Amino acid sequence: MSEAVTTQPSIEAYPDEAHGLNAWMTTVDHKRVGVLYLITALLFFGVGGLEALALRLQLARPNSALVSAEAFNQLFTMHGTTMIFLVVMPTLVGFGNYLVPLMIGARDMAFPRLNAMSYWLFPCGAFLLHFSLMAGGAPSAGWFGYAPLSETPFSSTPGTDYWILALLVLGVGSVATAINFIATILTLRAPGMSLGRVPLFVWMTLVTSVLVVLALPVLNAALVLLLVDRKLDAHVFLASGGGNTLLWQHLFWTFGHPEVYILALPAFGMISEIIPVFSRKPIFGYGFVVASAVAIAILSFGVWAHHMFAAGLGHTADVFFAAGSMLIAVPTGVKIFNWIATMWGGSIRFTTAMLFATAFLVEFVIGGLSGVTFAAAPIDWQMTDTYYVVAHFHYVIFGGTAFAVMGATYYWFPKMTGRLLSELLGKWHFWLMVVGFNLTFFVQHFLGILGMPRRVFTYPDLPHWASLNLTSTVGAVVMAIASLVFVANLALSLRRGKVAGDNPWQAWTLEWATTSPPQHDNFAEVPPVRGRRPLWDLAQAVEAKPDETTERTLDKSVVAVWGFIVSEAAFFLILVITYVFFNPAVGATGPTASSVLDVGRTGAFTACLVASSGTLWLSERRLDRKEHAAAARWLFVTIVLGVLFLVGQGGEYLGLYRRGVTVATNLFATTFFTLTGFHGLHVTVGLVAMSIVLGLALAGDFRRRHSTLLRAVGLYWHFVDVVWLVVFSIVYLRARG
Amino acid sequence: MTTRDLLMSCWTPDPLALFGCAAAVTLYLIRGRAGAGARAVSFAAGLLVLALALVSPVGALAEGYLFSAHMLQHLMLVLVVPPLVLLGFEPFNRGRVRLPAFVPWGLGVGAMWLWHAPTLCNAASQSEAIHRLQEASLLAMGSAFWWPVLAPRTGDRLPPLGGVVYLFSACVACTLLGVAITFSPVEVCSVFAHPVDRFGVMPLVRDGWGLTPERDQQIGGLLMWVPACVVYGAAILAVLARLLRDTAPVGMWARTTPRRRCE
Repeated sequence: MSEAVTTQPSIEAYPDEAHGLNAWMTTVDHKRVGVLYLITALLFFGVGGLEALALRLQLARPNSALVSAEAFNQLFTMHGTTMIFLVVMPTLVGFGNYLVPLMIGARDMAFPRLNAMSYWLFPCGAFLLHFSLMAGGAPSAGWFGYAPLSETPFSSTPGTDYWILALLVLGVGSVATAINFIATILTLRAPGMSLGRVPLFVWMTLVTSVLVVLALPVLNAALVLLLVDRKLDAHVFLASGGGNTLLWQHLFWTFGHPEVYILALPAFGMISEIIPVFSRKPIFGYGFVVASAVAIAILSFGVWAHHMFAAGLGHTADVFFAAGSMLIAVPTGVKIFNWIATMWGGSIRFTTAMLFATAFLVEFVIGGLSGVTFAAAPIDWQMTDTYYVVAHFHYVIFGGTAFAVMGATYYWFPKMTGRLLSELLGKWHFWLMVVGFNLTFFVQHFLGILGMPRRVFTYPDLPHWASLNLTSTVGAVVMAIASLVFVANLALSLRRGKVAGDNPWQAWTLEWATTSPPQHDNFAEVPPVRGRRPLWDLAQAVEAKPDETTERTLDKSVVAVWGFIVSEAAFFLILVITYVFFNPAVGATGPTASSVLDVGRTGAFTACLVASSGTLWLSERRLDRKEHAAAARWLFVTIVLGVLFLVGQGGEYLGLYRRGVTVATNLFATTFFTLTGFHGLHVTVGLVAMSIVLGLALAGDFRRRHSTLLRAVGLYWHFVDVVWLVVFSIVYLRARG
Repeated sequence: MTTRDLLMSCWTPDPLALFGCAAAVTLYLIRGRAGAGARAVSFAAGLLVLALALVSPVGALAEGYLFSAHMLQHLMLVLVVPPLVLLGFEPFNRGRVRLPAFVPWGLGVGAMWLWHAPTLCNAASQSEAIHRLQEASLLAMGSAFWWPVLAPRTGDRLPPLGGVVYLFSACVACTLLGVAITFSPVEVCSVFAHPVDRFGVMPLVRDGWGLTPERDQQIGGLLMWVPACVVYGAAILAVLARLLRDTAPVGMWARTTPRRRCE
């Protein structure tokens, strides 16, 4: 195992020194993948921005007919989905891709090819989403696709189906990236770079990645159930067939609230890099910034229900969730004070990057405060689904995250291209953006308080509504102009910008120790790391303590497989919960677990699966002892046992089908087939993976090199078996007992 | 009866519980590795919470009256008393016992789930002996759970990142049960629907406080969900603080960390 730990990709692994299109298409270099993410996201920022502009132009006047009601619904759905999944998340991932390996002194991500795959899933998802335009109209149920509106009776065009598929594809890509980040940060740090010393951007990326691994699978499970409803005529979220529409809201916001912090935490990381450098002071309270991020991450999973105050959860629940939600303001406030205290007494240089960071502070506080007002349930009842909400989350996501991203672009563009962005155009960009943004969204607070609902395509000429809406639209146009200045700055500076040099800002973190743009394998030599600001220590010639060695006991493949297992566990957990939720012990009608399932026969196949875990373990043991032939034999037996299990499951399905029990029969059948079907799919994937390992083994791979492949696949297989034991006891044994 | 009367009268000075507390204090003072200042305060606070959980109106209402009171007692015994008491001892660095982390984890999570199986929950509320057994086992399982995080013998502690995973996964397991209890239409403990009114407080509870059995159970579930999460979260932050305080590059999964002055 230890051999695998220190292997890092070498220069020879990337024969794409050329700058041709083909070199970019086939790249697995983290820097190029990062740039691809950023360019693609910028493209969709244009698309989503134009959609927003169309919305604002329609709303500029009362009783306007520029855009039809149906087109308006499609526009705001596409705008929200695009901005969140195709702009902000990929941008943050793009910066993370580019910067994390550089900041920790690594040569690349832990899994460069997986990284490239994650990127290419992003344009694929975007294509699926936009393909809906050619297939009968874009999705129009809002970015959160509330059931039953997103169900077939109310959204009959395939737009919503494409929306589901796109989000699934993007979700898989995000989880893969997150696992890659976790493995990179935990296993590839340079000597001396302890977790207490990594730049805060790296910490924020780590915490965000954990959130992604836990939250995205919940969305995926919900989307799968919605797709089963739409395509297989089930009724999970349809009250007409006994389903529960509120369940969608619960599942969506279990993902949706952590998602808010997935969008915000990396921005916090960017700000925590920019402010200290331009204040010429180390960050105030490094530990507090980290700890508050972790606190936010934990709390974010506990408070989703505050998005549902208006749904009627009951007084008691409202009180607890109001308190829990207000609690989140504490760690967030801690961070704001960290940044202010960093600026306090520093010699501040207001470059464009710093201007954006400063505006971030102000706007994020405004967005945060309006968020706290929502935590009070009675205010939420009054304000929910009005423009006050629109103002609130745009202050958080645009005034906060997007401003941080623009600051980060001015800060790291020189590192990525070797040239500085023009400060003159930068100042124009900044001031136009600040004025345009606040003009657009600040007045929306008032519109919300006046009672203007969101997602309406037009409105009557009520007092103040027309003037406030017009102001908002003018602001949106100013923002569009600011964005054009930004793009012009990017294009002009790329060709004619001032040459930056290695470290134009006199910054302290490792990415500034290498050339701009960095060479292929990032560093000729990684500088020694003895503190949180390695380049500062280098410049001050901090006395070299006896070289400490970092003890690495983690294998990157094992970390990655565990990350994958956790995300899969979250996915199955949601399916299991849904099964339990719809299958009460008593009082069900139609086929139930106790009336149609044969516990004895399935028990026999379960025994096969459990036995296969045992034989796989034997195979691993034989491999450890270098008995290659025996290892391959046991692996073969494992595969046979797995196939037997699948045959048994197929027989069971066939029997149920003959008795007329299909996925659309009732909620028992829907949840049963979804849960066991997905488990069967995982068994199949495991069998394919093991067959590949067996093929490699027969080709002599085991003999040639010590491989962690069997160990990684083995962990996955054991996990699949454990999931089955849980399913078996909940579905089959519970029915008997 | 008013709330004030209830708070004054419903004390159950159980000699066994009080004797246990007194014995613990004596032992701590005589031969314990009694620390000064903050540690002694922590130990004292732990025992005070223990005493309150057992003999105060919380304990009285937990016996068959209110599910939410039971949950409060439950959380005090599992999540509050053990960490406070463990923090009361001066850490030392000598020897260690290897125990796979899933054993104390299982005990800690088991403490949450086991006693909320309807049969056990009802039994504990009806029989005095089983109730005592429940209290003792909760305390023991809670202590076992917190040992790998706060053990005075620092060698027994999990490495920081391992500790974070240990606490976070326990938090998830506990939250799931909290969610289930909160939204469950079924009574977890049917006993609490029809309490035997030994103290004559039911009119106050039902009418004065407006606690119907359904709302009572919901509060119980939410207590397990939100405040319990906050306790685990605080512990995670404390463990992280330990990690960040060592800026020296040590293996984060390594069992042995360099000696520190405090802790």
